[in-house]
Amino acid sequence: MAQEEISFTDLIASSIHDMKNSLNLQVSALEGIARQSRDKGDLALFQDLGRVIYQSNRMNLNLVELLSLYKLSKSIYPLDITEQSVAEVIEEAVMQNQSMMDFKGIVVSVDCAPDCYWYMDRELVKGVLVNALNNAFHYTRDQIHILARLQDKHLELRVEDNGAGYPERMLVNPDLASEHGVSFETGSTGLGFYFCEQVARLHKNGRKRGALAIENGGSLGGGCFVLRLP
Amino acid sequence: MALTLRNASVLVIDDFQGMRTMLRDFVRSMGVSTIDTASSGKDAIAQLNANRYDIVICDYNLGPGPNGQQVLEEARLKNLIGVATVWAMVTAEKTPEMVMGAAEVRPDDYLLKPINQVVLETRLSRLIARKHVLAPIEASVKSLNYSDAIAQCDQQLKARVAYPQEILRVKSDLLLAVGEHGAASALFESILAERDVPWAQTGLGKIHFHARQFGQAKEIFQQVLREHTVYMEASDWLAKSCNRMGDTQEAEQVLLEAVKISPNSPSRQKILGQTAYRNGSLDVAQTAFEKTIKIGEFSPHKAPAAYTGLARVLADRDAPYEALKTLALSKLEFKYNTEAAIQTGATESAVYQQMGQSERAESVMADVEKLLEKAAGRVSPEASLEVARALFALGMKERACTLLQDVVRNNHENLEVSESIETLFKDLGMHAEGQALIAQSSGEVVAINNQGVTLAKGGDLLGGANLLRSASAKLPSNEVILINLCGLLIALLSKEGKNHRIASEARELLDRVRVINLGNKNYHVYRAALNRIMGGR
Repeated sequence: MAQEEISFTDLIASSIHDMKNSLNLQVSALEGIARQSRDKGDLALFQDLGRVIYQSNRMNLNLVELLSLYKLSKSIYPLDITEQSVAEVIEEAVMQNQSMMDFKGIVVSVDCAPDCYWYMDRELVKGVLVNALNNAFHYTRDQIHILARLQDKHLELRVEDNGAGYPERMLVNPDLASEHGVSFETGSTGLGFYFCEQVARLHKNGRKRGALAIENGGSLGGGCFVLRLP
Repeated sequence: MALTLRNASVLVIDDFQGMRTMLRDFVRSMGVSTIDTASSGKDAIAQLNANRYDIVICDYNLGPGPNGQQVLEEARLKNLIGVATVWAMVTAEKTPEMVMGAAEVRPDDYLLKPINQVVLETRLSRLIARKHVLAPIEASVKSLNYSDAIAQCDQQLKARVAYPQEILRVKSDLLLAVGEHGAASALFESILAERDVPWAQTGLGKIHFHARQFGQAKEIFQQVLREHTVYMEASDWLAKSCNRMGDTQEAEQVLLEAVKISPNSPSRQKILGQTAYRNGSLDVAQTAFEKTIKIGEFSPHKAPAAYTGLARVLADRDAPYEALKTLALSKLEFKYNTEAAIQTGATESAVYQQMGQSERAESVMADVEKLLEKAAGRVSPEASLEVARALFALGMKERACTLLQDVVRNNHENLEVSESIETLFKDLGMHAEGQALIAQSSGEVVAINNQGVTLAKGGDLLGGANLLRSASAKLPSNEVILINLCGLLIALLSKEGKNHRIASEARELLDRVRVINLGNKNYHVYRAALNRIMGGR
């Protein structure tokens, strides 16, 4: 029985490996075509490609989240909470989504001290940030601000936008975010929020655990996604 | 000239042509002009043999043949890459092997797909910057200049370098390697005062282990694993602790859990096989040995123990022909390796004996003995024990005991060795006899050693040295005798001035000690002293 489970994990992992290769090539090729179209001045094509790339990025994100959650549920995720440069983690999350931000003309700004180090699983937290950026991409008008600061022995990571903010009912009951079900229109299956919650919960220091919050307001007056790590 | 991304020579290794081209194009767009590509592990090793690279970007999955980790291990082992080479391993998902402490040979970083050009360029630039800090330390470690490496770590820490924890970690490993357990312990405690960091906790456990406080060590490793289930290093040390406490059933359970999480480490699978075999869990042992052979196929570190282990399991399961077939494979695999031939031959003899073919068993053993003679005592304890076990099976008890006496004498302070000899006797129902043999043989060496040291302390340096010289001729692998003799020679040199003949004798002793135990505490001290006396490095 155990043997079968292991091979199933291997099968999933190798399929995802293959799919990620394809997606990686696809996005890379699309980015190349997009650059050419922009240089030729074909802005309509440029923006169309932006939407396609956005969808490819989401697919990739979903694959990563699914595989991570599967492994977490089986207690075989290699959780590795080590000291990381927070600025570097943020920078990489931003770079991963840079091209799609460019298509929509969204400006992403970061406020993080270069010597800010904190304990985290680099890949999982980067996954949460990419998720938050994807969300903000969808709801913002044209700005996203990422803020990292240390507050009473926690690291607070905020992803803020200048969109209309979260609806009131979600702020009252944040569980709705993970329970409001599948909506292809907004591209929400609840998977992303569930993933982020799990990641927050897995970050422990002594008795303290990480937490997730959503707010409205912040420096840009829109929605704010907040991850706090002990 | 300091390395920059632009003037670097780069090797891209990926079996998937699309990815290979993409990565090469990324690197080319960064302004790099020297780029080679390889499409398989074999191809990569050929390229690494032919050229020196500053940066290697290597996919972990490389299809049939060696994987990325094995290519890296071979490159390190054969010095195909230098300490300044940046090795970035590309993977599709996070694996337990990526967690610190899981593998001895590690790439400088792991890159998770998807990769785009900006991410790759930023990562590579950062890795180059980090190399500027770490390469000099690694160079000292590589030339076994541990005290120098520790001093460099301290310098970097004082300069408030980025990633201070990484340097602290390197420093703690070095302190453990040179036996500075007090300083290592203080370092771990200072980190743990801030938060429970698994590597620092595990480090404390190792210190207890080395002090033979296996119970305390075990508790710490268990605690680490409760919080960090996939921290394989703690799990391997937990199994070791259980084994040393005689709780081999628990060790088997721990290892079984570990291979479920991280199945691809040949050494872990091999230890599971050996532990399970001792416990009589033949199913588990067979699977583990088979897996060891399979995943080790392309590893530069592969060894015959998995084959001999599997052969013993098969023989016990009444499949002697399968056992012999496995041993034949081992012979083929390790054709020009005397030690492997000894180990394989010993097992082969035992299998024939089990089959009732005593004559055949004896003739194989005769060949093994010839090889042993040729090796002149420089055989690993592991292989010698395998021979002794086979000799016992043949009823050649006296010969087995003589061999084991030699092993004890050559390793009289190595508790792990004497414990495995004790276990061997215990399994044969000769526990008391084994204990007596160990006590007597190690007592003899202790007496000679003490006599030599006493002479030297009384001022007769040459007399002491001569005594240890004749002892070392009989015990060519006894670390304590070798290092003490070296100490006496250095004392002679500093008393009577430079003497090139004695200095080269001392150097040769140091080289032998290094082969036996890299972590010998006096090795580093004596090496430095010798260099000081003779001038130069």
